Amino acid sequence: METAPGETVLDALLRAGLEPPHSCRAGQCQTCMLRATEGRPPVESQNGLTEAQKAQGFFLPCICRPTAPMIIALPDDAGAPQEAAIREIEPLADDIVRLRIETGSFAYRPGQFLELIAEPGLGRHYSLASHPEEDAFLEMHIRLHPNGRMSRRLTDGLRPGHKLHIAGPRGSCFYEGVNKDQPLTLIGAGTGLAPLYGVLRDALQRGHRGPIRLYHGARGANGLYLADELRALAKAHGHFVYIPAALDAGGDVAALALEAEAPSAADSAFFLCGGENLVKRLKRDLFMAGASLKAIRSDAFMPAAPSA
Amino acid sequence: MSNLYERLGGENAVNAAVELFYRKVLADGRIARFFEGVDMDQQIAKQKSFLTMAFGGPNNYSGLDMRNAHKRLVEKGLNDSHVDAVLEDLSSTLRQLGVAEKEVKEVEALANSVRNDVLNR
Repeated sequence: METAPGETVLDALLRAGLEPPHSCRAGQCQTCMLRATEGRPPVESQNGLTEAQKAQGFFLPCICRPTAPMIIALPDDAGAPQEAAIREIEPLADDIVRLRIETGSFAYRPGQFLELIAEPGLGRHYSLASHPEEDAFLEMHIRLHPNGRMSRRLTDGLRPGHKLHIAGPRGSCFYEGVNKDQPLTLIGAGTGLAPLYGVLRDALQRGHRGPIRLYHGARGANGLYLADELRALAKAHGHFVYIPAALDAGGDVAALALEAEAPSAADSAFFLCGGENLVKRLKRDLFMAGASLKAIRSDAFMPAAPSA
Repeated sequence: MSNLYERLGGENAVNAAVELFYRKVLADGRIARFFEGVDMDQQIAKQKSFLTMAFGGPNNYSGLDMRNAHKRLVEKGLNDSHVDAVLEDLSSTLRQLGVAEKEVKEVEALANSVRNDVLNR
Protein backbone atom coordinates (compact mmCIF):
# COMPACT_ATOMS: atom_id res chain seq x y z
CA MET A 1 0.00 0.00 0.00
CA GLU A 2 1.06 3.60 -0.48
CA THR A 3 1.09 6.41 2.01
CA ALA A 4 -0.06 9.80 0.79
CA PRO A 5 2.55 12.60 1.02
CA GLY A 6 2.96 13.50 4.68
CA GLU A 7 0.69 10.70 5.81
CA THR A 8 1.79 8.48 8.71
CA VAL A 9 1.85 4.70 8.46
CA LEU A 10 -0.78 4.54 11.21
CA ASP A 11 -3.13 6.83 9.26
CA ALA A 12 -2.56 4.79 6.10
CA LEU A 13 -3.37 1.54 7.94
CA LEU A 14 -6.52 3.08 9.40
CA ARG A 15 -7.50 4.47 6.00
CA ALA A 16 -7.15 0.93 4.58
CA GLY A 17 -9.72 -0.25 7.09
CA LEU A 18 -7.27 -2.06 9.38
CA GLU A 19 -7.61 -1.55 13.09
CA PRO A 20 -4.09 -1.49 14.49
CA PRO A 21 -3.91 -0.87 18.24
CA HIS A 22 -2.93 2.74 18.95
CA SER A 23 -3.42 5.39 21.56
CA CYS A 24 -1.40 8.62 21.86
CA ARG A 25 -0.71 9.17 18.13
CA ALA A 26 2.29 11.25 19.19
CA GLY A 27 5.09 8.70 19.37
CA GLN A 28 5.07 8.30 23.12
CA CYS A 29 2.89 5.45 24.36
CA GLN A 30 4.37 2.83 21.95
CA THR A 31 1.00 1.07 21.73
CA CYS A 32 1.14 0.99 17.92
CA MET A 33 4.74 -0.27 17.56
CA LEU A 34 5.47 -2.33 14.44
CA ARG A 35 8.61 -3.78 12.88
CA ALA A 36 10.15 -3.23 9.46
CA THR A 37 11.44 -6.57 8.18
CA GLU A 38 12.83 -4.90 5.05
CA GLY A 39 13.75 -1.27 4.48
CA ARG A 40 14.82 1.22 7.12
CA PRO A 41 12.22 3.21 9.04
CA PRO A 42 12.95 6.96 9.27
CA VAL A 43 15.13 7.78 12.30
CA GLU A 44 12.50 10.00 13.90
CA SER A 45 9.97 7.15 13.86
CA GLN A 46 12.23 5.22 16.27
CA ASN A 47 12.40 8.03 18.82
CA GLY A 48 12.30 6.71 22.37
CA LEU A 49 12.92 3.06 21.44
CA THR A 50 15.84 1.09 22.82
CA GLU A 51 18.95 0.57 20.72
CA ALA A 52 18.10 -3.14 20.54
CA GLN A 53 14.62 -2.34 19.19
CA LYS A 54 16.03 0.12 16.66
CA ALA A 55 18.55 -2.47 15.45
CA GLN A 56 15.67 -4.86 14.78
CA GLY A 57 13.70 -2.30 12.76
CA PHE A 58 10.98 -1.50 15.29
CA PHE A 59 9.27 1.85 14.73
CA LEU A 60 6.22 3.86 15.75
CA PRO A 61 3.73 4.06 12.87
CA CYS A 62 1.95 7.07 14.37
CA ILE A 63 5.02 9.25 13.75
CA CYS A 64 6.38 7.39 10.73
CA ARG A 65 6.26 9.13 7.35
CA PRO A 66 8.17 6.72 5.11
CA THR A 67 10.54 8.04 2.46
CA ALA A 68 11.38 4.60 1.00
CA PRO A 69 9.50 1.31 0.72
CA MET A 70 9.33 -0.88 3.82
CA ILE A 71 7.91 -4.31 4.52
CA ILE A 72 6.26 -4.20 7.91
CA ALA A 73 5.11 -6.88 10.33
CA LEU A 74 3.44 -7.12 13.70
CA PRO A 75 6.00 -6.89 16.52
CA ASP A 76 5.74 -10.55 17.53
CA ASP A 77 5.67 -12.00 14.01
CA ALA A 78 8.47 -14.57 13.82
CA GLY A 79 8.32 -15.04 10.05
CA ALA A 80 8.17 -18.27 8.07
CA PRO A 81 9.69 -21.42 9.62
CA GLN A 82 12.85 -22.85 8.07
CA GLU A 83 14.34 -26.33 8.22
CA ALA A 84 17.18 -27.22 10.58
CA ALA A 85 19.04 -30.45 11.37
CA ILE A 86 19.98 -31.67 14.83
CA ARG A 87 23.74 -31.88 15.34
CA GLU A 88 23.95 -32.72 19.02
CA ILE A 89 21.77 -33.41 22.08
CA GLU A 90 23.96 -33.69 25.19
CA PRO A 91 23.23 -33.45 28.92
CA LEU A 92 24.52 -30.30 30.68
CA ALA A 93 23.00 -31.08 34.10
CA ASP A 94 20.56 -33.61 35.58
CA ASP A 95 17.56 -31.99 33.91
CA ILE A 96 19.13 -29.73 31.27
CA VAL A 97 20.27 -30.68 27.77
CA ARG A 98 22.26 -28.78 25.20
CA LEU A 99 20.70 -28.84 21.75
CA ARG A 100 22.83 -27.84 18.79
CA ILE A 101 21.23 -27.52 15.37
CA GLU A 102 22.42 -26.51 11.92
CA THR A 103 20.47 -24.52 9.41
CA GLY A 104 20.93 -22.35 6.33
CA SER A 105 21.20 -18.60 6.60
CA PHE A 106 19.81 -17.47 9.96
CA ALA A 107 20.78 -13.97 11.12
CA TYR A 108 20.53 -13.49 14.89
CA ARG A 109 22.19 -11.83 17.85
CA PRO A 110 23.32 -13.96 20.82
CA GLY A 111 20.66 -13.76 23.52
CA GLN A 112 17.70 -13.59 21.15
CA PHE A 113 15.30 -16.52 21.10
CA LEU A 114 13.77 -18.67 18.39
CA GLU A 115 10.80 -20.95 18.12
CA LEU A 116 11.81 -24.60 17.88
CA ILE A 117 9.16 -26.62 16.06
CA ALA A 118 9.69 -30.36 16.57
CA GLU A 119 6.47 -31.28 14.76
CA PRO A 120 3.32 -29.41 13.74
CA GLY A 121 1.68 -28.06 16.90
CA LEU A 122 4.75 -28.64 19.05
CA GLY A 123 6.73 -25.39 19.18
CA ARG A 124 8.64 -23.86 22.10
CA HIS A 125 10.74 -20.74 22.53
CA TYR A 126 14.41 -21.13 23.45
CA SER A 127 17.17 -18.56 23.83
CA LEU A 128 20.35 -18.72 21.79
CA ALA A 129 23.62 -19.32 23.63
CA SER A 130 25.69 -19.59 20.46
CA HIS A 131 27.53 -16.82 18.62
CA PRO A 132 26.97 -16.41 14.86
CA GLU A 133 30.60 -15.50 14.20
CA GLU A 134 32.14 -18.16 16.44
CA ASP A 135 29.80 -21.13 16.12
CA ALA A 136 28.63 -22.99 13.02
CA PHE A 137 25.52 -24.12 14.90
CA LEU A 138 22.65 -22.68 16.93
CA GLU A 139 22.82 -23.69 20.59
CA MET A 140 19.97 -23.85 23.09
CA HIS A 141 19.83 -25.04 26.70
CA ILE A 142 16.63 -26.88 27.42
CA ARG A 143 15.23 -27.82 30.80
CA LEU A 144 13.58 -31.23 30.71
CA HIS A 145 10.15 -31.33 32.32
CA PRO A 146 9.02 -34.83 33.37
CA ASN A 147 5.72 -34.52 31.51
CA GLY A 148 6.68 -31.99 28.85
CA ARG A 149 5.95 -32.96 25.27
CA MET A 150 9.07 -31.28 23.89
CA SER A 151 11.14 -32.85 26.65
CA ARG A 152 9.90 -36.31 25.73
CA ARG A 153 10.63 -35.70 22.04
CA LEU A 154 14.15 -34.58 22.89
CA THR A 155 14.91 -37.53 25.17
CA ASP A 156 13.03 -40.33 23.41
CA GLY A 157 12.63 -39.47 19.76
CA LEU A 158 15.01 -36.94 18.29
CA ARG A 159 18.60 -37.87 17.37
CA PRO A 160 21.46 -36.14 15.52
CA GLY A 161 20.61 -35.86 11.84
CA HIS A 162 16.87 -35.56 12.44
CA LYS A 163 15.14 -32.58 10.87
CA LEU A 164 12.93 -30.02 12.57
CA HIS A 165 11.93 -26.39 11.97
CA ILE A 166 12.80 -23.06 13.52
CA ALA A 167 11.28 -19.59 13.25
CA GLY A 168 12.60 -16.25 14.37
CA PRO A 169 14.76 -14.88 15.83
CA ARG A 170 12.98 -12.51 18.19
CA GLY A 171 13.67 -10.63 21.37
CA SER A 172 15.64 -7.57 22.45
CA CYS A 173 17.88 -9.25 25.00
CA PHE A 174 21.20 -8.74 23.22
CA TYR A 175 24.33 -6.60 23.45
CA GLU A 176 23.26 -3.33 21.80
CA GLY A 177 23.21 0.20 23.14
CA VAL A 178 25.66 -0.72 25.88
CA ASN A 179 28.54 1.67 26.52
CA LYS A 180 31.76 -0.36 26.23
CA ASP A 181 33.14 1.21 29.41
CA GLN A 182 30.12 0.86 31.70
CA PRO A 183 29.69 -2.06 34.13
CA LEU A 184 27.82 -4.94 32.48
CA THR A 185 25.89 -7.16 34.87
CA LEU A 186 24.28 -10.42 33.78
CA ILE A 187 21.93 -12.16 36.22
CA GLY A 188 20.11 -15.40 35.56
CA ALA A 189 18.86 -18.65 37.00
CA GLY A 190 18.54 -22.12 35.51
CA THR A 191 18.57 -22.13 31.72
CA GLY A 192 18.47 -18.33 31.90
CA LEU A 193 22.20 -18.85 31.54
CA ALA A 194 21.75 -19.61 27.82
CA PRO A 195 21.06 -16.05 26.62
CA LEU A 196 23.50 -14.64 29.18
CA TYR A 197 26.26 -16.93 27.92
CA GLY A 198 25.54 -15.68 24.39
CA VAL A 199 25.51 -12.03 25.50
CA LEU A 200 28.71 -12.50 27.51
CA ARG A 201 30.62 -13.92 24.56
CA ASP A 202 29.20 -11.22 22.29
CA ALA A 203 30.29 -8.49 24.73
CA LEU A 204 33.80 -9.94 24.94
CA GLN A 205 33.97 -10.32 21.17
CA ARG A 206 32.86 -6.72 20.66
CA GLY A 207 35.53 -5.46 23.04
CA HIS A 208 33.53 -4.52 26.13
CA ARG A 209 36.04 -2.85 28.49
CA GLY A 210 34.01 -2.18 31.65
CA PRO A 211 33.72 -4.76 34.42
CA ILE A 212 31.47 -7.72 33.55
CA ARG A 213 29.82 -9.80 36.28
CA LEU A 214 27.73 -12.87 35.60
CA TYR A 215 25.56 -14.25 38.42
CA HIS A 216 24.11 -17.69 37.82
CA GLY A 217 21.68 -19.28 40.26
CA ALA A 218 20.51 -22.88 40.44
CA ARG A 219 18.80 -25.08 43.00
CA GLY A 220 21.92 -27.20 43.52
CA ALA A 221 25.53 -27.30 42.41
CA ASN A 222 24.63 -29.74 39.61
CA GLY A 223 22.50 -27.04 37.98
CA LEU A 224 25.47 -24.69 37.74
CA TYR A 225 26.30 -25.97 34.29
CA LEU A 226 29.04 -24.48 32.08
CA ALA A 227 30.92 -23.60 35.28
CA ASP A 228 34.22 -24.83 33.83
CA GLU A 229 33.78 -22.81 30.64
CA LEU A 230 32.84 -19.70 32.62
CA ARG A 231 35.80 -20.08 34.98
CA ALA A 232 38.08 -20.42 31.97
CA LEU A 233 36.62 -17.23 30.47
CA ALA A 234 37.13 -15.43 33.79
CA LYS A 235 40.75 -16.56 33.83
CA ALA A 236 41.32 -15.37 30.28
CA HIS A 237 39.56 -12.00 30.75
CA GLY A 238 40.64 -10.06 33.84
CA HIS A 239 37.56 -7.80 33.76
CA PHE A 240 35.07 -10.70 33.85
CA VAL A 241 33.90 -12.28 37.11
CA TYR A 242 31.70 -15.39 37.37
CA ILE A 243 29.54 -15.65 40.49
CA PRO A 244 27.67 -18.96 40.88
CA ALA A 245 25.01 -19.37 43.57
CA ALA A 246 23.48 -22.70 44.59
CA LEU A 247 20.26 -22.30 46.54
CA ASP A 248 20.69 -25.48 48.59
CA ALA A 249 24.01 -24.07 49.82
CA GLY A 250 22.31 -20.83 50.89
CA GLY A 251 23.01 -18.84 47.72
CA ASP A 252 19.97 -16.78 46.66
CA VAL A 253 21.16 -15.36 43.35
CA ALA A 254 18.71 -12.44 43.35
CA ALA A 255 19.57 -11.33 46.88
CA LEU A 256 23.28 -11.78 46.25
CA ALA A 257 23.22 -9.78 43.02
CA LEU A 258 20.97 -7.01 44.35
CA GLU A 259 23.15 -6.40 47.37
CA ALA A 260 26.32 -6.24 45.31
CA GLU A 261 24.90 -4.30 42.35
CA ALA A 262 22.57 -1.74 43.96
CA PRO A 263 25.32 0.83 44.70
CA SER A 264 26.38 1.00 41.03
CA ALA A 265 22.92 0.32 39.55
CA ALA A 266 22.56 3.79 38.04
CA ASP A 267 25.70 3.35 35.91
CA SER A 268 25.31 -0.28 34.82
CA ALA A 269 23.77 -2.17 31.93
CA PHE A 270 21.78 -5.21 33.06
CA PHE A 271 20.64 -8.42 31.42
CA LEU A 272 18.14 -10.47 33.45
CA CYS A 273 17.07 -13.94 32.34
CA GLY A 274 15.16 -16.71 34.06
CA GLY A 275 11.76 -17.41 35.56
CA GLU A 276 9.16 -14.66 35.56
CA ASN A 277 9.21 -14.07 39.33
CA LEU A 278 12.98 -13.71 39.45
CA VAL A 279 13.12 -11.36 36.48
CA LYS A 280 10.26 -9.17 37.73
CA ARG A 281 11.77 -8.89 41.19
CA LEU A 282 15.23 -8.01 39.88
CA LYS A 283 13.91 -5.54 37.34
CA ARG A 284 11.85 -3.68 39.88
CA ASP A 285 14.48 -3.64 42.61
CA LEU A 286 17.29 -2.58 40.27
CA PHE A 287 15.08 0.19 38.86
CA MET A 288 14.25 1.39 42.36
CA ALA A 289 17.99 1.29 43.17
CA GLY A 290 18.56 3.79 40.37
CA ALA A 291 19.01 1.70 37.21
CA SER A 292 17.40 3.18 34.12
CA LEU A 293 14.70 0.94 32.65
CA LYS A 294 16.37 1.39 29.26
CA ALA A 295 19.55 -0.11 30.70
CA ILE A 296 17.71 -3.25 31.82
CA ARG A 297 17.19 -5.91 29.16
CA SER A 298 15.27 -8.89 30.34
CA ASP A 299 13.79 -12.13 29.16
CA ALA A 300 11.35 -13.93 31.43
CA PHE A 301 10.82 -17.60 30.62
CA MET A 302 7.22 -18.72 30.64
CA PRO A 303 6.32 -22.38 31.07
CA ALA A 304 4.42 -23.85 28.12
CA ALA A 305 0.66 -23.87 28.54
CA PRO A 306 -0.39 -27.21 30.12
CA SER A 307 -2.55 -28.19 27.15
CA ALA A 308 0.13 -27.46 24.55
CA MET B 1 6.95 34.19 26.46
CA SER B 2 7.41 30.67 25.13
CA ASN B 3 4.91 28.01 26.03
CA LEU B 4 5.09 25.80 29.11
CA TYR B 5 6.55 22.77 27.30
CA GLU B 6 9.41 24.85 25.87
CA ARG B 7 10.06 26.60 29.17
CA LEU B 8 10.37 23.22 30.91
CA GLY B 9 12.84 21.95 28.32
CA GLY B 10 10.63 19.87 26.02
CA GLU B 11 11.25 16.20 25.44
CA ASN B 12 14.53 16.24 27.37
CA ALA B 13 12.66 17.45 30.44
CA VAL B 14 10.12 14.66 30.08
CA ASN B 15 12.94 12.12 29.77
CA ALA B 16 14.66 13.52 32.84
CA ALA B 17 11.46 13.39 34.87
CA VAL B 18 9.82 10.14 33.84
CA GLU B 19 11.95 7.60 35.72
CA LEU B 20 12.16 9.76 38.84
CA PHE B 21 8.39 10.12 38.76
CA TYR B 22 7.80 6.40 38.19
CA ARG B 23 10.09 5.50 41.11
CA LYS B 24 8.16 7.85 43.41
CA VAL B 25 4.85 6.35 42.32
CA LEU B 26 6.06 2.77 42.87
CA ALA B 27 7.46 3.69 46.28
CA ASP B 28 4.25 5.49 47.31
CA GLY B 29 2.37 3.13 49.62
CA ARG B 30 -0.91 4.93 48.93
CA ILE B 31 -0.99 3.95 45.24
CA ALA B 32 1.63 1.24 44.67
CA ARG B 33 -0.97 -1.54 44.65
CA PHE B 34 -2.50 -0.20 41.43
CA PHE B 35 0.80 -0.84 39.64
CA GLU B 36 1.34 -4.39 40.81
CA GLY B 37 2.00 -6.87 38.02
CA VAL B 38 2.03 -4.32 35.20
CA ASP B 39 4.72 -4.51 32.53
CA MET B 40 7.22 -1.84 33.55
CA ASP B 41 8.34 -0.99 30.00
CA GLN B 42 4.78 -0.49 28.81
CA GLN B 43 3.95 1.46 31.95
CA ILE B 44 6.86 3.88 31.59
CA ALA B 45 5.85 4.62 28.00
CA LYS B 46 2.40 5.54 29.33
CA GLN B 47 3.95 7.66 32.09
CA LYS B 48 5.92 9.48 29.42
CA SER B 49 2.77 10.11 27.47
CA PHE B 50 1.08 11.45 30.60
CA LEU B 51 4.01 13.73 31.50
CA THR B 52 4.17 15.11 27.95
CA MET B 53 0.51 16.05 28.24
CA ALA B 54 0.98 17.54 31.72
CA PHE B 55 4.01 19.52 30.51
CA GLY B 56 1.87 21.05 27.78
CA GLY B 57 3.69 19.13 25.05
CA PRO B 58 2.45 17.68 21.76
CA ASN B 59 -0.16 15.02 22.43
CA ASN B 60 -3.42 13.69 21.15
CA TYR B 61 -4.97 13.34 24.55
CA SER B 62 -8.24 11.49 24.42
CA GLY B 63 -10.54 11.45 27.42
CA LEU B 64 -11.92 8.14 26.18
CA ASP B 65 -8.47 6.48 26.25
CA MET B 66 -7.89 7.78 29.75
CA ARG B 67 -11.29 6.44 30.87
CA ASN B 68 -10.74 3.02 29.35
CA ALA B 69 -7.22 2.77 30.75
CA HIS B 70 -8.42 3.40 34.31
CA LYS B 71 -11.80 1.71 34.29
CA ARG B 72 -10.59 -1.47 35.98
CA LEU B 73 -8.65 0.54 38.58
CA VAL B 74 -11.76 2.52 39.49
CA GLU B 75 -13.52 -0.80 40.05
CA LYS B 76 -10.64 -1.71 42.36
CA GLY B 77 -11.23 1.44 44.41
CA LEU B 78 -9.29 4.20 42.63
CA ASN B 79 -10.54 7.54 43.96
CA ASP B 80 -9.65 11.23 44.46
CA SER B 81 -7.14 10.47 47.21
CA HIS B 82 -5.09 8.37 44.77
CA VAL B 83 -5.15 11.10 42.11
CA ASP B 84 -3.99 13.53 44.81
CA ALA B 85 -1.10 11.18 45.61
CA VAL B 86 -0.02 11.01 41.95
CA LEU B 87 -0.16 14.82 41.69
CA GLU B 88 1.97 15.13 44.84
CA ASP B 89 4.53 12.72 43.41
CA LEU B 90 4.55 14.70 40.17
CA SER B 91 5.11 18.04 41.94
CA SER B 92 7.83 16.58 44.11
CA THR B 93 9.56 15.22 40.99
CA LEU B 94 9.51 18.66 39.39
CA ARG B 95 10.81 20.40 42.52
CA GLN B 96 13.60 17.83 42.76
CA LEU B 97 14.57 18.73 39.19
CA GLY B 98 14.65 22.44 40.11
CA VAL B 99 11.52 23.49 38.23
CA ALA B 100 10.25 26.89 39.41
CA GLU B 101 7.05 27.04 41.48
CA LYS B 102 5.14 28.88 38.76
CA GLU B 103 5.71 26.04 36.28
CA VAL B 104 5.02 23.39 38.94
CA LYS B 105 1.58 24.94 39.43
CA GLU B 106 0.90 25.01 35.70
CA VAL B 107 1.83 21.33 35.35
CA GLU B 108 -0.32 20.47 38.36
CA ALA B 109 -3.29 22.23 36.79
CA LEU B 110 -2.86 20.41 33.46
CA ALA B 111 -2.46 17.04 35.19
CA ASN B 112 -5.48 17.77 37.39
CA SER B 113 -7.58 18.54 34.32
CA VAL B 114 -7.79 14.81 33.52
CA ARG B 115 -9.00 13.85 37.01
CA ASN B 116 -12.61 13.25 36.01
CA ASP B 117 -11.63 11.16 33.01
CA VAL B 118 -9.27 9.06 35.13
CA LEU B 119 -11.98 8.50 37.72
CA ASN B 120 -14.60 7.76 35.04
CA ARG B 121 -17.14 10.34 36.11
